[in-house]
Amino acid sequence: MSDLEWKKGSAELLLLSLLEHESRNGYELHKLIESRSRGVLRFHVASLYPLLYRLERRGLISGTWVEKPGQRRRRYYRLTPTGRKILTQQRRSWNAFAQAISRIVGVQHA
Amino acid sequence: MPDWRRELRRRLAGLDVPPTRRAEIVDELAQHLEERYRELCRSGMDDATAVAAVLEELSEDGALARALAEVEPAAGPEPIPPGAPRTGGRLGRFGQDLRYGLRVLRTRPLFALVAILTLGLGVGANTAIFSAVHAVLLRPLPYPESDRLVTFWGTAPEKRLPVVAYPDAMFVHFQEHQREFESIAAYSSGNAAISGEGEPERVVATAVTRDFFQVMRQTPVAGRAFLQGDGAPGSGSVVVLSHGIWQRRYGGDRAIVGKPILIGGQPTIVVGIMPPGFDFPRGTELWFPLVLDSRSLDNWYLSTVARLGPGRSVADAHRDVLRMTDAFKLNRPADFRDAKPGGSRAVVKPLLADLVGDARTPLLVLLGAVGCVLLIASSNLGNLLLARALARQREMALRCCLGASTGRLAAQLLTESLVLAVLGGGLGLLLGGLGIRAIRGLAVDQVPRLAQAGLDPVVLLFALGVTLVAGLLFGLVPALRGVRVDLIEGLRDSARAGTAGRVHRLSNGFVVTQLALSLILLVGAGLLLRSFRRTLLVDPGFRAERVLTARVQLPWPKYRSDTVLRVFQNRLLEAVRALPGVERAGLANRIPFSPGNPQQNLLVEGHEPASGEAIPVVNSRVASVGYFEAIGTPILRGRAFLPSDAQDVAPVVIVDETIARQYWPGGNPIGKRIRTSTDSSAAWLTIIGVAANVKHASLRERPDFELYRPMLQTPTWSSYVVIRTRSAPEGIIAGLRRVVMELDPILPVSDVGSLEDAMASSLSVARLTNLLLTAFALLALLLAAIGIYGVMSLQVNGRLGEFGVRLALGAAPRQVLRLVLMQGLGLAAIGFGIGLAGALLLTRFLRSLLFEVEPFDPPTFALVSVVLAGVTLLACYLPALRATRADPISVLRQE
Repeated sequence: MSDLEWKKGSAELLLLSLLEHESRNGYELHKLIESRSRGVLRFHVASLYPLLYRLERRGLISGTWVEKPGQRRRRYYRLTPTGRKILTQQRRSWNAFAQAISRIVGVQHA
Repeated sequence: MPDWRRELRRRLAGLDVPPTRRAEIVDELAQHLEERYRELCRSGMDDATAVAAVLEELSEDGALARALAEVEPAAGPEPIPPGAPRTGGRLGRFGQDLRYGLRVLRTRPLFALVAILTLGLGVGANTAIFSAVHAVLLRPLPYPESDRLVTFWGTAPEKRLPVVAYPDAMFVHFQEHQREFESIAAYSSGNAAISGEGEPERVVATAVTRDFFQVMRQTPVAGRAFLQGDGAPGSGSVVVLSHGIWQRRYGGDRAIVGKPILIGGQPTIVVGIMPPGFDFPRGTELWFPLVLDSRSLDNWYLSTVARLGPGRSVADAHRDVLRMTDAFKLNRPADFRDAKPGGSRAVVKPLLADLVGDARTPLLVLLGAVGCVLLIASSNLGNLLLARALARQREMALRCCLGASTGRLAAQLLTESLVLAVLGGGLGLLLGGLGIRAIRGLAVDQVPRLAQAGLDPVVLLFALGVTLVAGLLFGLVPALRGVRVDLIEGLRDSARAGTAGRVHRLSNGFVVTQLALSLILLVGAGLLLRSFRRTLLVDPGFRAERVLTARVQLPWPKYRSDTVLRVFQNRLLEAVRALPGVERAGLANRIPFSPGNPQQNLLVEGHEPASGEAIPVVNSRVASVGYFEAIGTPILRGRAFLPSDAQDVAPVVIVDETIARQYWPGGNPIGKRIRTSTDSSAAWLTIIGVAANVKHASLRERPDFELYRPMLQTPTWSSYVVIRTRSAPEGIIAGLRRVVMELDPILPVSDVGSLEDAMASSLSVARLTNLLLTAFALLALLLAAIGIYGVMSLQVNGRLGEFGVRLALGAAPRQVLRLVLMQGLGLAAIGFGIGLAGALLLTRFLRSLLFEVEPFDPPTFALVSVVLAGVTLLACYLPALRATRADPISVLRQE
């Protein structure tokens, strides 16, 4: 797996995780990533939306325009069943990867 | 705050995505940027810094577009906002309408199928019949300036002689005294046997005067035409070959010109070969020179073909022929005792009209019929489209509100109709091509020039024209109707109530038209079918079943003496009668449905016509012993010929019942005497028997004077063998050929076939006309039934609420049923009225095709009316049944 793909893979994992329990719009996703990573990770318009659209095309998430009274319509994304399956897989391999890394990193610091 | 949308649109300008998708992206991203900007402002940033920060986050120019380009699929064809004005001009709009029309059709496959099929059948039938009409009636003859070619003949209705050919002397007189023609020629068709290399074969041969090829403006492709002196006594025999026989029999070898071939056993020099496609008279393979005897009045056998002088009309020619005929007869009072000035009769006809002959009326009738079918099909489609226009009123109203002009909407609807028309037309062309092939297969031998019928450019143009006219016809009314939109009514879902009335009047009009046209077609078909049945019931005067006939001609000079003829004919009959399976056999110079009709004068002893009175003419036949028994013609009085009616006893004759009834009504003609020549020295013939009337050319002909001479007393060189067999007549053919071969190997046996087949083929044009007209009438009936069903369904659907309320208020279902049925029958009654009037007007044109049935035949009219009423009732019954099941609650809820 190349470096670029790996980053892309992890970004995908982030978005899918955030959509696991509820549907969110693009701006919410941007805010959540920034706040939960305490400012370490940032997704701006130029990277976030192409990614969302790509996930949507692959059928992992689906977006719908939602109109609420008194508000402009906004596009909300939610996880599709396929997305859910992929999320589980990616989460599992991420865990394995993180453990492997921490094992190596941890041994050296011991 | 900056306009984020504009900024985004600028940055995404190079992105190739569909416009709708682009709008979505811009919308979504702009919201994001706006919120980000607000958030930054809320956190204390000043406006300019916040804007700068947001733009920075948007990253440098082009990055966004590139990232999106990797994800978003490129734009396909742009979606069409229906009815919206668009750039691209008229053609662009048409393309847009076209695509939209196709898409709308795809969403309604059943509708599209019914529409295309209906139109395809209509166009197909029209194309097929028109191709026949074009090939037979309209195409000019394949000769230069063929519109100047005419033919003429004498006629003597008072002697029951519609066609009188000319004798040599009279034609020579015409050649010398004519003023209105460029040139005139005479010809006489017969046949000739070719022998020598290969199988002997009998082909159509025509003797023609020297001017013949000049009149037709034909020059040989090899060799020469006839010259002065060709065919004169003492000079050798010469012949001109058709291109067909030259290719077929002589392999297209040019060296044949100048060489002798054996015709009728005689060496004959080939002097020329005609170009391909020269086929006059029809089927001719050999042309011989015809030398006329300027004094001879013995044989009236010459047909004519002539080229009018420049600028001369058929009427000019007619006057000229009458003038010459009068002059000729008045100069010979001894030969023409009944001649008086202005007493001559003649017919002059354009050659094309004469060639087409009897095929003209059936073809035009069929063309009219398919035209009606197309009208019905078109009005059916009009109805379907009208119903759809009604169902689409909401769409139209909406598009009007969105700014589409009515003209634009009409163009859209019209384009949709044209899409249907083109698809239907394509199918029609396909069906038409098949139809042409079927018609050619069924009647090519009976109808002249039909063989050339096909999908040629003229026919294609016709099909295209028919398709477009039909498309406009059924598309225009609904298009105009469909766009007359009442916006408020249209947008409300209950569009039915308001506009329904007007639309219904229109579709009622369609239904009335369909019924009227169907009635006319059904009456026409009914009359023809009844005529045909009458024809089949006619007693032909013989029994056709299990009879084989074949022609044997004995060539001159080998068979020049009467004795040789008699010996051959006796031997032939003996040998044939000895064949296994033969019950009876006889010979005759003419048999029913054989070509030609030799005629003689009839002078009855004691009934001689006074001077100036017309001398009656009689069809003259020669028959052998056993002929009447073989063909099954009953001898009503007296006896048939016996071997004792030979050359050494007093001449005898058998007459038919028509002569017997005319001259001896109620009396006995046996022993009475007649003569067949005005020459007072001619022998009297004693009547020994009376035969039943026999049909000769057609089952529909009137009984005519006819007499039979015994073959032993008047031997003939050309005769038909008539064999009644015990089983299928085809089983005898090989035996017959063997017998003839054993008697004389150079004799071809021609025109072999069963009498039943000959009789059937005499009816084949009538049978085909009936078949087609009946098929078209049934098609019309089916289409009309579909039309009525469609219209009644539409109207019942529109009134379901009303019916529901009626039922709720206590009306019995029976009453609702009757209400709907009465409405349908009301329409039917109007259609019937118009149809009956139309039928009365139009069936007159069928008169020449009818037999023992009047154009106004009450049983036919009654039966057709009953059938049509029944079908109408049936077509109304299903919608009526639905009306009785109307549920007021659900209907009102839908409103």
